[in-house]
Formats: sequence, C-alpha cells, structure tokens
Amino acid sequence: MDPNDLEARNATYRRFVELGRAPTVVEVGTAIGADTERVRASWRRLHDGHALVLDANGDIRMANPFSAVPTAYRVDAAGRSWYANCAWDAFGIGVVLGGDTVIHTACPDCAEPIDLAVHERRPGDASLVFHVLVPAAQWWADIGYT
Amino acid sequence: MVLFRSEDHVQAWLRDRDPGATIPITKLAELAEAWWGDRLAPDWRPHTREQNQAILDRLGLTGPFWRLG
Repeated sequence: MDPNDLEARNATYRRFVELGRAPTVVEVGTAIGADTERVRASWRRLHDGHALVLDANGDIRMANPFSAVPTAYRVDAAGRSWYANCAWDAFGIGVVLGGDTVIHTACPDCAEPIDLAVHERRPGDASLVFHVLVPAAQWWADIGYT
Repeated sequence: MVLFRSEDHVQAWLRDRDPGATIPITKLAELAEAWWGDRLAPDWRPHTREQNQAILDRLGLTGPFWRLG
C-alpha cells in the first residue's frame, strides 16, 4: 500500500475514534499535513481496495467497523455511542476500542429490542444467532446490502 | 449480517428467500476478534484474501458459502 494512502487511512481511523464520527476530508488533511486533493485521492484508492467505503459525494460512509451514518446497530462503548454497519461490525467496535460494549438493535423478524452486553469480548446472551444472507464471495459486490 | 433472537426467527424472517449461513453469537464474537483485532494498530496492513480466508477456516467457517471471492 502506498505510504500516503496508509497515512491517510490511519489518520481517518484515528480521527473517527477521537471525534466519535466520521472525519471530514479537511480534518484528515489537517491531521497529516496534506491538502484535500491528496486526501481525496487516497480515500478513492482505499475505497477501491476495500480499505474503507466512500459515499456518492466522496465522503466517508464506512471505516469498518464504524459507520458514518445511523444504522440498526448502535454500540455504546467507552462512554460514547457509535453506529456499526452490521452485527459483525457491532462486535468489531468493541474489539477495536478494546473495552466492554452494549449493542442495541432489534430482531429483524419480530422487532423485539435486543440490548446485548459484551463483557471481555463475551456476549451476555449466548442464545442469539447471527445470520449471513450473502455468500462470502459476493460480500463486496454491494457492501451496503451485505 | 444480522442478529436474531433464535434460529426460529431466522427461518420466519427468510420466508421464501434462500437461506445463507447461521452461526452462534459466540462464534461471531470469535470471528470479530480475529477479523478486527489489528484494525487500529499503528502497523496495520491490509489483510490479504488468504489471511482472511485463513481466519474463516480456523473458526470452522468452511465450504462454498464461506469462500471469499
């Protein structure tokens, strides 16, 4: 990976954690001393390489496991709340932040709320199940749907 | 990639759709640990397809459904 792209990627993740939301291109540029054109070019290459996901405007949509927009998976962690892109990513937020979490979602079938505490990486309710609808070979064909 | 209260709820939700794969939430926790563990590491590098496939294989997530493209 190009060193500039790696620098932009790491700054994007670092700022996402620090800010509690997706950073703007200006915020990442400021963090690494780069102009917005350079950051946008790096983001595009990172998007093409599946290292993050941009929206139609070229801004951050996903820095997996974090989502830049509200989703059905809200995660309380480190005294803040984050949105995850899916159930897998909801667990991922606890992993990357290194602490206990509570995952808030609802069963897609019956809509009953699920408030799942995860302590030391272990889910507090082992009766729940995780379903993956899309085969692994097609996960990136439409990552928003996946 | 969604959480359900139980396998019965998965089946009810699927109705006529082709099912994917269902795993226990404890397995998902293991998967997340292996998949995301290095995401904020200063020396992070992109996982290769082979590295990611090895994670799935190690957790017993094998067969055509879990074969990465």
